[in-house]
Amino acid sequence: MTTLQALGEALNPDLFWEYRNVLLSGFSYNLLIFALSAVGATVIGMLIGIARLSSNWAVRATATSYAEIFRNTPEYVLLVWAYYVLPIIIGRITGTNVRFDPITVAVASLAVAYSGYFSETFRAGILAVPKANIEAGMSVGMSGWMILRRLVIPQAVRRMLPESLNQYISLFKSTSIVSLIAIEDLMYRVSMITMEESRPLPLYTWAAIVFCTAIVLLTQVADRLSARWRRAGLA
Amino acid sequence: MLDNLQRNVLSNLDLLLTGLLTTIQVCTQAFLLATVVGLAACLIRLYVPALKYAAIAYIEFCRSTPMVVQLLWVNYVWPEVFGFPGTVIGAGVIALALQSSGYLAETFRSGIEAINKGHREAAMALGLSPARTMRRIVLPQVVLEMAPSLINQLAVVLKSSTLVSVIAVPDLMFQALRLVDRSLEPIEILSSVAILYIAVITSVSLISKLISDHFRDKYGLSIKQ
Repeated sequence: MTTLQALGEALNPDLFWEYRNVLLSGFSYNLLIFALSAVGATVIGMLIGIARLSSNWAVRATATSYAEIFRNTPEYVLLVWAYYVLPIIIGRITGTNVRFDPITVAVASLAVAYSGYFSETFRAGILAVPKANIEAGMSVGMSGWMILRRLVIPQAVRRMLPESLNQYISLFKSTSIVSLIAIEDLMYRVSMITMEESRPLPLYTWAAIVFCTAIVLLTQVADRLSARWRRAGLA
Repeated sequence: MLDNLQRNVLSNLDLLLTGLLTTIQVCTQAFLLATVVGLAACLIRLYVPALKYAAIAYIEFCRSTPMVVQLLWVNYVWPEVFGFPGTVIGAGVIALALQSSGYLAETFRSGIEAINKGHREAAMALGLSPARTMRRIVLPQVVLEMAPSLINQLAVVLKSSTLVSVIAVPDLMFQALRLVDRSLEPIEILSSVAILYIAVITSVSLISKLISDHFRDKYGLSIKQ
């Protein structure tokens, strides 16, 4: 094949279009895993972020180490470890035969991997709330929990919105690694179809184009939203 | 437990070490390539109006495509279309460099744009050529300002490099997975390798933080983390 022919083959959308239903149902796994792990990462990240500001040094140290460790762990290593090692360890401790569903493993790993980043965003958001607001809350007799719930979190959440949108986009990109533990997501199906058809050029090229377009569009939406929130004085 | 560690990890230390060397080799090459290409893309975007949109498209493509997708794309499509890379290691290096060059181009751009306009105007008033202004006035400041982000990007490259094992680059992750396949005892191997990765990546991030603190103290630069 000459270079030009190869380029034509790579950009030929026919094969990709022919398998659109299979690929789309694969992509729905990416969306599902993204949605679940985004919720998980947000919740864990929020708890860790609050714990990192605790007045108890042991809580603070534990939460900070958690965030540091998982921010520096490759997602793939975490995924593989949770898939192969974690069930054995839990099985030995409880004395039962534990098996995890790959999707559960993928959601949990991505949630934990990104909760480190989210905790940092939360922490920064909380620290950005003016101290005077907290003092005002105290002086009108609000409890610590009430100050957190009514004064700090609403303001912190608004401040961290733009940053967390970017993290959600990164998380969405990372969902493509779940194919490596045999979840039948978009890339897994691309590899399967490639094996069947022996035509790797168009499939891999179009998978790259589709992912790239989707993420560029999402980034645009995120930027527009952030700009609007900033103008409205929310973020 | 120690028996298992001995049998699975310590007796295969040479294999894991070869893997670590491959990881380091791939990451170093990818990082250098990404720095050069990222700087070129950034300079083209800023100073070559005719190619501005090509550079933006390149940067956005690199930043917006997942690593696994780029890796498989470079590995299977590039040899047919562009005639290179000939080896899986080459494909791994190029894919990692692609990803990072997009991020680094944006890092360089924000660094260049952060430089006080007055510096450039002063250089112009003194009659320095644009190339010389770039080399003597702009780049030294950009490098100082960017050093922490650059090193941080090295940590990102290290993290992403675990994925090159997917296309059979014999890196640390690949050797670890092969050992697991052979012994069917994943606990010790995978845990040791995970700890090793975390230790290396944490050290690199820590160095980046120390350097940014050092520069802030020494030159009074306000470095965004």
